[in-house]
Amino acid sequence: MAESAAAATKPSSSVKLVLLGEAAVGKSSLVLRFVNNHFQENKEPTIGAAFLTQKCNLPHRTIKFEIWDTAGQERFASLAPMYYRNAQSALVVYDITKPTSLVKARHWVAELQRQASPGIVIALVGNKSDLSTSADGETASSTDNSKKGSSAASEDEANGGDDAPAVEAEDDGAADSDPRKVSTKEGREYAEEEGLLFFETSAKSGHNVQEVFTAIANAIPETQMKNVKGPGMAGGAQSALGAGNERVNLNGPRADSKDSCAC
Amino acid sequence: MFNLNTLVLKAQSFIDPNASPAAKSSDSQSSKAALFRLQFRLPDSQNPLHEVTAEFSFAPPSASREKPRPHDRSSSYVGKLHLSESFLCFSTQPTSFHPAASIQASTAFNGQTHGAGPAGNGFTLPLVAIRRVERLQTQNALFALAITTANGFTTASPASPLTSTQKLTVQLAGSRQACETFCDGLKRALRDATKDTSSLKAVVLQCYSEYLLSERFQKGVDTPEVAPKGPPDSGLGFLFRYPGDARKLRDKSKMRLWAEYLRENGRNLTLVRHPTFTRLFRVGLPNRLRGELWELTSGSLYSRLQKPSLYSDTLSKFDGRESLAIDEIEKDLNRSLPEYAGFQSQEGIGRLRRVLTAYSWMNEEVGYCQAMNIVVAALLIYMSEAQAFSLLCVLCDRLLPGYYSTTMYGTILDQRVFESLVEKTMPILWNHLVKSDVQLSVVSLPWFLSLYINSMPLVFAVRVLDVFFLEGPKVLFQIGLAILRMNGEELLDVTDDGTFIQILKEYFSHLHESAHPTSENEKYRNVTRFQELMVVAFREFSGITQNTISEQRTRHKDAVLDNIETFAKRTSIRNLGPDSKRLSLDDLDFLYDRFYGTLYEREQRMHMMREETEKRKKVGQVKATEMVTGIAGNSSIEMGRVGLGPSPTLMNYDGFREFLASITKWAITDSPTSPRKDSTADKENGFFGSSNRNRSVSMISPWGAGNAEPADHDFMQRLYGRWNQHDNDGLSLQDVVSGMAHVKGTTDIMSSISYFFELYDDDSDGKVDREGILRISEALLFLTRRGLGDELSPSPSSSNLDQDNDVDLKGASTDERFLSSVSAFIRRCFEYADPDHPQNQSNERGANETQLSAGIEQFSVGGDDEDDEEDLLDLGADTVKSSTSESPTTSPPRLLPNTPSQPTSKTTFRKTSANLALDPANPLHITLPTFRMVILADELLQRFFETSFPASFRLSPTIQRSSTSSSTLTTFSTPANLLPVPSNRVVLPGNKGLRGVLDNIVSDGMKVALEVKKRMDEAQRELEKNAVEVQRPHAEEDEEDEEHRGHGGDVNDDRRSVLEKDRDLLEGAEAEVVVEGKGVEAGGGVQEGRKEMGDLIDMGFGGEGGPVEGRGKVVEFER
Repeated sequence: MAESAAAATKPSSSVKLVLLGEAAVGKSSLVLRFVNNHFQENKEPTIGAAFLTQKCNLPHRTIKFEIWDTAGQERFASLAPMYYRNAQSALVVYDITKPTSLVKARHWVAELQRQASPGIVIALVGNKSDLSTSADGETASSTDNSKKGSSAASEDEANGGDDAPAVEAEDDGAADSDPRKVSTKEGREYAEEEGLLFFETSAKSGHNVQEVFTAIANAIPETQMKNVKGPGMAGGAQSALGAGNERVNLNGPRADSKDSCAC
Repeated sequence: MFNLNTLVLKAQSFIDPNASPAAKSSDSQSSKAALFRLQFRLPDSQNPLHEVTAEFSFAPPSASREKPRPHDRSSSYVGKLHLSESFLCFSTQPTSFHPAASIQASTAFNGQTHGAGPAGNGFTLPLVAIRRVERLQTQNALFALAITTANGFTTASPASPLTSTQKLTVQLAGSRQACETFCDGLKRALRDATKDTSSLKAVVLQCYSEYLLSERFQKGVDTPEVAPKGPPDSGLGFLFRYPGDARKLRDKSKMRLWAEYLRENGRNLTLVRHPTFTRLFRVGLPNRLRGELWELTSGSLYSRLQKPSLYSDTLSKFDGRESLAIDEIEKDLNRSLPEYAGFQSQEGIGRLRRVLTAYSWMNEEVGYCQAMNIVVAALLIYMSEAQAFSLLCVLCDRLLPGYYSTTMYGTILDQRVFESLVEKTMPILWNHLVKSDVQLSVVSLPWFLSLYINSMPLVFAVRVLDVFFLEGPKVLFQIGLAILRMNGEELLDVTDDGTFIQILKEYFSHLHESAHPTSENEKYRNVTRFQELMVVAFREFSGITQNTISEQRTRHKDAVLDNIETFAKRTSIRNLGPDSKRLSLDDLDFLYDRFYGTLYEREQRMHMMREETEKRKKVGQVKATEMVTGIAGNSSIEMGRVGLGPSPTLMNYDGFREFLASITKWAITDSPTSPRKDSTADKENGFFGSSNRNRSVSMISPWGAGNAEPADHDFMQRLYGRWNQHDNDGLSLQDVVSGMAHVKGTTDIMSSISYFFELYDDDSDGKVDREGILRISEALLFLTRRGLGDELSPSPSSSNLDQDNDVDLKGASTDERFLSSVSAFIRRCFEYADPDHPQNQSNERGANETQLSAGIEQFSVGGDDEDDEEDLLDLGADTVKSSTSESPTTSPPRLLPNTPSQPTSKTTFRKTSANLALDPANPLHITLPTFRMVILADELLQRFFETSFPASFRLSPTIQRSSTSSSTLTTFSTPANLLPVPSNRVVLPGNKGLRGVLDNIVSDGMKVALEVKKRMDEAQRELEKNAVEVQRPHAEEDEEDEEHRGHGGDVNDDRRSVLEKDRDLLEGAEAEVVVEGKGVEAGGGVQEGRKEMGDLIDMGFGGEGGPVEGRGKVVEFER
């Protein structure tokens, strides 16, 4: 993908990207597809986080993604700030066959919007589109909306009324053979509401994977790029776990972004 | 005198173990016991009972005696011999505990493992594995014991019974008395141990060493009649090959070395540790013995010995049940060491599933954490399911505390510890990392969490595990430091996380390569990078001990927990839903703290009370063979802390009451010590009932010492019901926040009024009936019974009314006026109420007419049915039921929103007057507009709804700081703030009085003002009197109030009699104490007697083995 002769002359910069989302939605598989163009059926769960890099060629510049692929299990959530710290972009992934994973994705979006670097580019990605039997998921939307709502309310009490109202509708009849449970429309609407990029992908087939990363690369303003091998900002923030008081700030996003960009 | 004192102390400790000084020592005792258990890897039930200095010499079994080995330097060690309930342990290492030692003393020594592992030479013998103990004849009157173990009993054949007999000789070096005490204890413990011999065989037969030695034995002696059984399950590796190249690993020679060691020094349960033992571990274990040796050194073998069927029992007990953990496990089954053949098969997946599931049931708080799948998968390659299960338990509970908890605080804490160790040992690298803003924990966290299993190639990771199980958690740190040291040069060039990770990844993939590929010395060339790593880890970082780790953990623990809690709080507050936006961030902050603070305190108290009852139980039983310790050591102190893992998230009604009591004045009860009658047992888990009964004894209040006891009122129940939107077992924080948002988030009087109205509109048909009206008025009185003056005065809108500093006087008059407002409210309500039936008579007339109590009885039920379909028959039945259930109760009415309820108790029946408004034949109701109109018609009521009701919920942290910041048990230390100063006054017209007032209001609205005035005057008088005696204890005060209410009249006389009665009671109590003391004395006598008997036994034994050097058998067992 990244074979380009002109790459040497193009300006190159690196971008930190973090993947967040519920367990087993396919975060690692997306990365693996993007980085190695490879798919592994039974990928080991990520412990803590995995780190990979990949270049992405744009017409006028080359972007080197430093990808932090985080663990999805709920209890790892408190570790996430360690990984999304200073990230310029984030991929929030859900599984289109699992409505609860979208709920979790919403939480992550909220978390990022308030805690991560200001101006972080967030892409919402509905993965496992290969499992959908309907073309665009619109057909499944009517029933699935309600189902999503009810299960979301029961699964996650902290979810509140932000989400679709919990309609008690279990018309989960025999007709519902489509494993897709979250319609494209629902994902897109939410993404538009929050100003996120939106894609439905399949790490298995490779559908849309490259596009996601390209779109993120394009969305990042040039001013935000940090130069490759640029010396890291000096700062006492050696540990987000220990002395990281700045990590937990109830009153808004951290001000001390690595690039101290004003946006 | 001295004797008397100790007796009293004894008696006290008998009554209340918590209050006695003995409780303090039990604390340090528990840590001592914990250290002891850690050192010998014993199960939680074990406690150090006796210890004595001893010299231990060991004779190899007779089989190998023919060819004495040159390196077999007639093993003889000096060390300490310890006895616990069911173990006899010996170690050459200075033990980490001492009878009189504090923790400091015990952690001060610098042994190899600091009491964290079975270090030193010696043994850990389960008493069941001891066959025979003999007292040996010695020259110098020393105590010497010959211990014959059950070593190899499964393979002993009749032909050669002695081939594997193992004899240990221990010479006790203590004083004669100490030795005798020890022998006594041993004798007793051995006798007890005979009970559980059955599990011994079952457990031992699962050990590969038994098979290994029996096979060899048979080869040697050639006894074909003993049918060779199949080898025990030694893990998936047996079926799917063990990872790594067995030839390269020199598995065969390792096996031979171990077979020799085991034959000479005992196997599995009866193994004796010599210096060779540790060395054999460092070179890596042979694959088939690995599981067993892990089990032995981690101590999980001992817990399995205690409960051999725990694994299968757990599985069958929860068979078919579902849980969140199981779902999570399912997700990961196919992705646990997927490259290993065993986990591509259903066999391997099945084992993994069962072990993880069983653990998730065993410890539901932890459930399942990613990384456990990887660890268990690795274990399962080398051991059977049951073995892996018990090892996993030991891992999670003891070796990796808090690693897999829901907050993973253990993991995070150890990252901090690791960082501080790096800073200490490699300051240059550390400074570089800090400067480059590289986070160490991003690389180290997976190391610790999955024990290097998915960082290093499996062959090497299991070798780390070999040492880890032997020497304890510090190994993880040593290896981690060594990894950084080995890559130090390159890491100094690193400027970002990515490269940092890359370098280490690279390093791990080359571990098998030669560390010195260019060396001319072949020996050097053969040293792999991994070997080099191990050497660096255990040589260069040998200074890192368990002690270091514990110290560092203590140092960082609070900061880490605070961090986690702040994160949890932030996330939680963010996800509270749209209602939360109506409250300020400060309010949410406060609500969060108060909510979880209440839950935390309740949890703590429950825990304390549970311990209390447990202690009681233990005292009751003569001997508890199995202790139900629950949580070990320090962790119990902080149960329920958010950062430590799953804490309760739902608040039940009692918690809600407590919560309200901490933020409002009116929710504090008027009669704090009145025994709470739990008429609704279903609501309570029955625990408080029992705890209340013995509360007077244990001095533990269910509301916490110093906390104000919350009231229980219909209004609070309604509020609870209203806030409990999801009909859960309790309120979530979100429920509380959105509930609070409706009460406090709006200062709009209209919504405040309608909220109140809706609370009483049971069937939400927009109508509140007569019953409801009365309840509303009662609630209004309830809410304002501590006065509304000082609640109103701070609010700007009421500045014109209550600016006087003399709150007492002015407040009283405001309250008085409020009372008449309420009475006017009732009158007006009935006046403007709409009749349900057209034939309903005018209320004007009704108000003047009086009815007999029968009418009231019926009225008391009127509210729970729909007005329109009143059925007299039904009513009658209900009335009987309710009046019988209510009449013996003197407590405030307990009304649940959905149950038949009465606002009036028996005082109602005393009243003979009522009015037609109560006539059930003339049902009526008010609607919201009517209600609104009535409220707005009265200035005080309007003010109440506009400001004082919302303001009565105090969220401002400034008022409550002391109760929020310190989450100790005595949090509620601000009664001065919350209880209005003239508390006695408000106590007086308490529940009964209040109801009395209400009855009067109902019966005759016009006379109300007079009545109220009378009562207020009484109250004022009482107040003045009480002001003289401010110091009276609570209980007294309350009783007096009862008295006062009962007789109405001569207060002084009453008080005197009460006080006298009290004194009598006190004297009675003293007498009881004396009696108790005598009881103890008598008990002591019994003990004395028993001791005498013991002495007799001793005499018999001593006679043989005493100064006259005879040969006496201490205890002899033949099995």
